[in-house]
Amino acid sequence: MLKAAWKRPQFRIGLIIIVSLLVLAIILPLISSTSATTLSIRERFAPPIFMDGGNLKHLFGTDQLGRDLLLRSLIGLQNAVFIGLVSVIGMFFLGAIIGMYAGYKGGWIDTILMRITDAQMSIPVIILAITILGVSRPTAFSVIVVLILAGWPTYARVIRSVTLTESKKEFVRAAKIIGASDQRIILSHIAPNILPPVAFIAVLDVARMMIFEAIFGFIGIGIQPPIPTFGNILADGTKYLINAWWITVIPGLFLFTALISLNLIGSTLESARNEALEGREQ
Amino acid sequence: MTKNQTIDDAIDKPILTVNKLNVVARSSDKDTAILTDISFNLSKGEILSVIGESGSGLTVLSKSLMNWLPSPLVASKGSVLYRGDNVLNLSTNELRKFRGKIFAYIGSDSTTALNPTVPIGRHLVSKLRAVMPEYSETQAQKRIIDLFDAVRIPSPIERFNEFPFQFSGGMMQRVMIVDALCTDPELLVADNITQPLDVTIAKQIVRLLYDLRDEFGTSVVFSTASLPMAADISERLLVLQNGRVLEEATPKQIVDNPGTNYTKALSERVPRIWSAKHTPMKSLTQKTILSVKNVSKTYFTTDPKAYFSKQAVKAVRGVSFDVLEGENFGIVGESGCGKSTLSRLLSWVEKPDDGEILFENKSINTMNSSELKNLRNQFQLILQDPYTSLPGHKTVGEIIIEPLKIHRSCPPQAYSDRLFEVMTEVGLPKGTEVSLPSQLSASMRQRVNIARAMVTKPNLLILDETMSSLDQVEQARLLDLFDELQRRHNFTYIFISHDLALVRRACSRVLVMYLGRVVEMAANEDLFFNPVHPYSQALLSAMPTLEKNRFDASKVLLEGEPPSPVNIPLGCSFRSRCPNALEICATESPPNSPIRSGQVECHLIAQDKNF
Amino acid sequence: MTFVLSFLLRRLSQGLVIVLLVGFVIFSLLRIVPGDPVRIIVGPMATEKQVEEIANELGLNDPLPIQFGRYLSEITEGDFGNSFIKAKGGNAASGGKENAGVERAAVLDLIKNAIPLSAILAGLGTAFALMFSIPLGIAAGLRPNGLISKLTFALSSIFVSLPNIWLAILLILIVSTQLGWLPAIGYKGLSYAILPAIVLAVELSAVIVRALASSVTTTMQENFVQAGVVRGLTLQHMISRHVIRNASIPILNLFGAQLGGLLLGSLFIVEYIFNYPGLGLLTVNAVFQRDFPVIQGVAILTTAALVIINIMVDLISAGIDRRLQY
Repeated sequence: MLKAAWKRPQFRIGLIIIVSLLVLAIILPLISSTSATTLSIRERFAPPIFMDGGNLKHLFGTDQLGRDLLLRSLIGLQNAVFIGLVSVIGMFFLGAIIGMYAGYKGGWIDTILMRITDAQMSIPVIILAITILGVSRPTAFSVIVVLILAGWPTYARVIRSVTLTESKKEFVRAAKIIGASDQRIILSHIAPNILPPVAFIAVLDVARMMIFEAIFGFIGIGIQPPIPTFGNILADGTKYLINAWWITVIPGLFLFTALISLNLIGSTLESARNEALEGREQ
Repeated sequence: MTKNQTIDDAIDKPILTVNKLNVVARSSDKDTAILTDISFNLSKGEILSVIGESGSGLTVLSKSLMNWLPSPLVASKGSVLYRGDNVLNLSTNELRKFRGKIFAYIGSDSTTALNPTVPIGRHLVSKLRAVMPEYSETQAQKRIIDLFDAVRIPSPIERFNEFPFQFSGGMMQRVMIVDALCTDPELLVADNITQPLDVTIAKQIVRLLYDLRDEFGTSVVFSTASLPMAADISERLLVLQNGRVLEEATPKQIVDNPGTNYTKALSERVPRIWSAKHTPMKSLTQKTILSVKNVSKTYFTTDPKAYFSKQAVKAVRGVSFDVLEGENFGIVGESGCGKSTLSRLLSWVEKPDDGEILFENKSINTMNSSELKNLRNQFQLILQDPYTSLPGHKTVGEIIIEPLKIHRSCPPQAYSDRLFEVMTEVGLPKGTEVSLPSQLSASMRQRVNIARAMVTKPNLLILDETMSSLDQVEQARLLDLFDELQRRHNFTYIFISHDLALVRRACSRVLVMYLGRVVEMAANEDLFFNPVHPYSQALLSAMPTLEKNRFDASKVLLEGEPPSPVNIPLGCSFRSRCPNALEICATESPPNSPIRSGQVECHLIAQDKNF
Repeated sequence: MTFVLSFLLRRLSQGLVIVLLVGFVIFSLLRIVPGDPVRIIVGPMATEKQVEEIANELGLNDPLPIQFGRYLSEITEGDFGNSFIKAKGGNAASGGKENAGVERAAVLDLIKNAIPLSAILAGLGTAFALMFSIPLGIAAGLRPNGLISKLTFALSSIFVSLPNIWLAILLILIVSTQLGWLPAIGYKGLSYAILPAIVLAVELSAVIVRALASSVTTTMQENFVQAGVVRGLTLQHMISRHVIRNASIPILNLFGAQLGGLLLGSLFIVEYIFNYPGLGLLTVNAVFQRDFPVIQGVAILTTAALVIINIMVDLISAGIDRRLQY
């Protein structure tokens, strides 16, 4: 499947963009003379390089406190990718464990677990975030917890339903008959078949979670300032929208670029997977 | 119009002429031939059978008659002429007036031929009105319901409003026949229509088609892989191999005097039931290895017509039998008879609701987990479908030694010795142990299945439809392999199948199931020469054979289909289809009468003192 | 009919359990987290004694289950409690000055006032999304390798990568501030709903158009479509009567499983950004002000709304495809 995806230009373009952005995000703050939180009143509202008054020192311009927007965007990307990645890995594994167990065991265990996912899915993410994050001081950890809580039921559902189809297949019966334990069947026969395709699609969720992280930051329930996140950068900028539009527009464009490259990778993987699955069924 | 006139008329002008038809699979750099120089004529009212194995091009031929070649297939040369017009040259618009009205097509996959979300009647009415706009909605409905009645679909008015998924394969095939014939087409292309059906149902459909041909005067191109079935229905046969016509002849010529070696082999491969000698392994010790005592299993499914209650599907109802050491024990029955549920119970993947199963005189019901694990070591199952029964991501070697790892049957250093030993036994060449199952052919995969089952040296093997997905040549090879393995290792096997010919060849004692009950159990010879139960007789009468069938289908073949396991009739469950049902059959379950080598459940026998 | 009744009975009772469960969890969360609500009501200047009195008066010192029980019994009478902050009439009553006696607004009234505005916005957003997605999705699905399909795919990749907050800001900046075509902030008429609805529609379309295209493509590959053409029906007939019908089921399910939540979630954000006085703005402000009765009222009602959307979706799907009744 990976090979099939690699053959498509969209996949490679996406990969090149996101990898270079990440490399930049890691290296540039290390070698830069200033940091993302350094204030410089003299340099506030410096426009980006391509406008009159822009200079090389601040490619993306500066914000109302004179902080460099490029560095803030790069640190914002670090935070967003970290939170997106960790939360998707967390929801994937939580969902996989619960989904495989429910789907394989069936019966009342399945019923109870699935009703729990129903309940969890009936709470809109934003409500969950507001109740948990809105009432305490949010940290990266609590943002991740909220995203995992909001995201695992979808994974549990999908994985349960494929496990259900998979465990009706003859090879599972064959494994039971040779005496394999439930644990062995789940881990060594079912999981390797069903998890990789789901993991492929999870790439798309990393991008979704990054958007959520930005939204939380924007309404003030994400990682708190002064640590830069896309959410709080954009929120700061809205106050100066008329005179210093670049404070919101340019970091937003930067985020959009990162997201579109992830989505390119994810959707190419998804269509490669779909083709592979169809091919297998023929 | 009488049949004779039809044939006279036919000789004058064929309605279909296929002339040097060539079909290729086209890719950018080359064409691969699928059909080569196919030519034949078909007269009005004639049935022509085209026979061939899978891969011979049967379906491609049928589809090209409809000008329905899916990409990348292309008709590169030749013509399909209907009264002089080349069907292959018709435009999309002309085709629309042609398909359905002049040529109609029925495929083998009738259960997927109609949109499952729309009621059956709607499909047929909209087709009838699209092809023949002169029909009003009410007239069309009436015609369809009348035809449902004519093809013996029970309660046609209710069935008209039901959905495709509520129809069995056999009923669906009747629906598709109505769909094809409601517009009075001149030619019906019946592509392998009996392939997914049980023998008794397939036989019903073939007879129905034969009768309808007389009534409608439709010509039929009937393609099938079954020589006996083709010989039964048609006046002429066309033998297809690798996309070429090998021979065209009457059924009698093909059987008595085949023109090519291939045809000869084809006819020799049809199993002989009564004229051949079979000596399957019998038990020498007469010791019981597996004993099934009165087991039952009921499943519950949602019932959309009831509040909060579920439907009880009684899959297995009080089945008892003993399997003796060293014998080959057969379990036969058609779809829905409960044999696959029984197989799940025997392999203890599911537990019976009631009753008990004993292995070597020890009840499995009461075994603890370590005893059960130990049991798995001695008791193996080989499954039906070689494509789904192997985990796709493991190599053949890993698959075969997995039971050894689980049971720690031998030290890890000995795994590879045992692996090669068992691979040699089942005929897997060295080197295949590193392949993935997807790289092997169906028969090789089935050998991997067998090797995995054999690797722990079990005493009892259950073969659950193990041969169904293989062709007859492979089936014969595998049966020989089993004979040899059995002689060497002295195990017992239970052979679960819908295929009476395989059971005849392989089993010493046979049990016949119907609707979750054992209706008859007898030694091989007794069952095949003197079956007692009317159902056993009907099964045998429906067998596709080239010999003269000892049981005349017109006397003992059943009408209709088995009742649903949800609504099992009171008394004898077979009475709704039994030609000889008595009054008592409607009220009381038949007793179990011991006869000759086995037992039978039938009031007729119980009341007949001669047995 | 039997099916519909038993289905509704079963699902509504399950749904009630879910709503109660969610309600209790949110209720508890709001009480165990730091941030004393009484302090918010009385203001920073009040004495410890005043705090204690108000806490007793509001029943905040009772054990959680008792508080929740009381809350539930009030809900059955249509009373979701009163806002900590907002006074009747809409002005903020906080500050804890002399206005401790000011009558506070009932949560239900606040929500009732906000729902019609949110409904307009959500309805408009969904309508935009469907107007865009249905024709494109079907066209793309019918020719999975065609130009429209590629275009649709690219467009949906862009849409799904647009953070809604950023898109909203861009629209305000360009369409409203620079071009002056449409108003953006607040609500004084339907035109104020258009820009926020576009943001909602972009988010929904990204998901719907792709799902619809792949659902149409899959359905087109089913045997009955070609079989229908060979039976003598036209391809147009098969598409309009059968393919679209079947392809709609996954889209309906998508609405139940994903889009309901997505719509609600982005509704909140979009209302906040556009300062659009609907349910979302009410809630986000309640978060800033720690107005717990409002948060929990909204949480319970939105959960109930999602549960009901899901039940309706499943009922409609089972009406289209009878197999789902089994």
